[in-house]
Amino acid sequence: MSETILKSMNVSKIYGKHKALDKVSIEIKRGMIYGLIGENGAGKSTFMRIIMGLITTDEGKMELFGETDKKGLQHARRRMGQSIETPALYPELTARENLRVQAANGGVSEREIDDLLHLMKLEHTGKKKAKNFSLGMRQRLAIASTLITNPEFLILDEPTNGLDPSGIVEMREIIQRLVNERGITVLLSSHLLDELSQIATHYGILHKGKIIKEISKEDLALETRQYVELETSEVQQAVTVLDELGVKDYEVKSKTEIHIYERLDDVATINRSLVLANLDVSRIGTTRQKLEDYFLQLTGGNRHV
Amino acid sequence: MFNLLAAEKIKLSRSKKLMIVIGIFLLLPIIQVVNTQLNVSNGKELVQAVDTVINGASGILMIDKNGLTILLVISAFISFFIGEEFQNGTIRNALSLGRSRMHYYLSKLATAAIVSLLGVFVLTAMGMISFSIVFGFGSVAEISNYLPYAMKTFSTLYLLILANVSVYVMISFQTKNSGVSMVWCFLYTIATGFLPDIFQQTENFKHVSDWFTETFLFYYDFASIEGLATYPEMNLVSLITILLSSTLGIILFNRTDIK
Repeated sequence: MSETILKSMNVSKIYGKHKALDKVSIEIKRGMIYGLIGENGAGKSTFMRIIMGLITTDEGKMELFGETDKKGLQHARRRMGQSIETPALYPELTARENLRVQAANGGVSEREIDDLLHLMKLEHTGKKKAKNFSLGMRQRLAIASTLITNPEFLILDEPTNGLDPSGIVEMREIIQRLVNERGITVLLSSHLLDELSQIATHYGILHKGKIIKEISKEDLALETRQYVELETSEVQQAVTVLDELGVKDYEVKSKTEIHIYERLDDVATINRSLVLANLDVSRIGTTRQKLEDYFLQLTGGNRHV
Repeated sequence: MFNLLAAEKIKLSRSKKLMIVIGIFLLLPIIQVVNTQLNVSNGKELVQAVDTVINGASGILMIDKNGLTILLVISAFISFFIGEEFQNGTIRNALSLGRSRMHYYLSKLATAAIVSLLGVFVLTAMGMISFSIVFGFGSVAEISNYLPYAMKTFSTLYLLILANVSVYVMISFQTKNSGVSMVWCFLYTIATGFLPDIFQQTENFKHVSDWFTETFLFYYDFASIEGLATYPEMNLVSLITILLSSTLGIILFNRTDIK
């Protein structure tokens, strides 16, 4: 079993009468890319800040790299990096100077700066100040800044927020590369499940401060996978026809509905066989539950997502 | 702590605000010596008790002469220097690495203290040089042994400034915003600068004013024997102010949520 990097146990945070986090319990193991999904105000950033020790919890416990006491947690945080909300940079400093500051903060050598600038495609920024960078460049610099201390666990809060489509793809590639090349465990948040689905290995859906579902990539794919939806009044005969066709992966959903999970490109053949067997097919076609719909179904249909 | 100070050094080496502060402290004595020379040319007679600095030797009192200006300039610098860390979110970079909040606070206080020392040193040195050039080095009346006097006076005056620096740092960490911090620092400076004058008029509050460092900075004569006799009291009040404000500042900062 791989090592547990982060374990939160019933973590709650209350602001006045508002419960920003309500008994949040998750576990992140080494090598995971854990996607925290939730609409704006769901508590994603609050939870990330608690992990980083920027805000205190009102209830619950946190475990980082096996450490649970205050001093141990503080020590464990030296093995982590974060970029929460907007990229936290010194606008008057260049990319290199920003990295030098973070290297000094972490008490690490400046040797890696050139590699990181190259990795984040910022090596040609020269004397350009961070305030004159595009949002994409600032996001990349913020990530470079978190990497200077060689973290084992990276926390990225909405890293693609405000980026254009090419910037989003680029950011996704960067994160994927960090995981593959450096073996970093990542916790990243987004309010778009569709976007996270292209990178995350595990998901936690945070809604109104509560984790309402944790699911792996494989299980999510199963729950939202594509299928042929067949609607007929004679389900029993339809099953016989499917068996004769050699279709094995199907599910009788109701007295009138069957979901077929294979031969998705062969709907015409299936339809022809059903019609030739004198069955009334009222509807047949491929369909897929969109990730957004899946999310909305879980969260009760908030249209902002 | 030393790592955090190394980071501050990199930030300050590119800081335009620091350049502005040093620029002000460099130019201020030159403007003042020109102004004094014009007044003298127009027949004004310089009196040490009134004009504070009248020659190179009394240039050691440049902090006393420019107390309010120094405090306002330094409070503005500290407000930006700390407030921007909160506003840019860069404070998270250091704290999320597991750095202790007390160390972070103390590194900011130490940096502010060093910048203030540099500022008042530049101001005093420029004051002594420029007044010496125009009015000669001369001497300070009632003072026979100049060097020990100069060292004691400068360190006492700097300690009085440092006490305020410590309060400004505390205010900046609590307000978490450059603008708001600047307003509160100005209000603190103005209030503690002018309230003692009112308190001095009353019997009951007369002694309360002696617990404000501004009372010494604005209302005491540092070139008199009586003034010299109160140096230990000034140092004590300054140290107590630094200790109390820093302790309170660290306690409050430890309880603060960082956005």
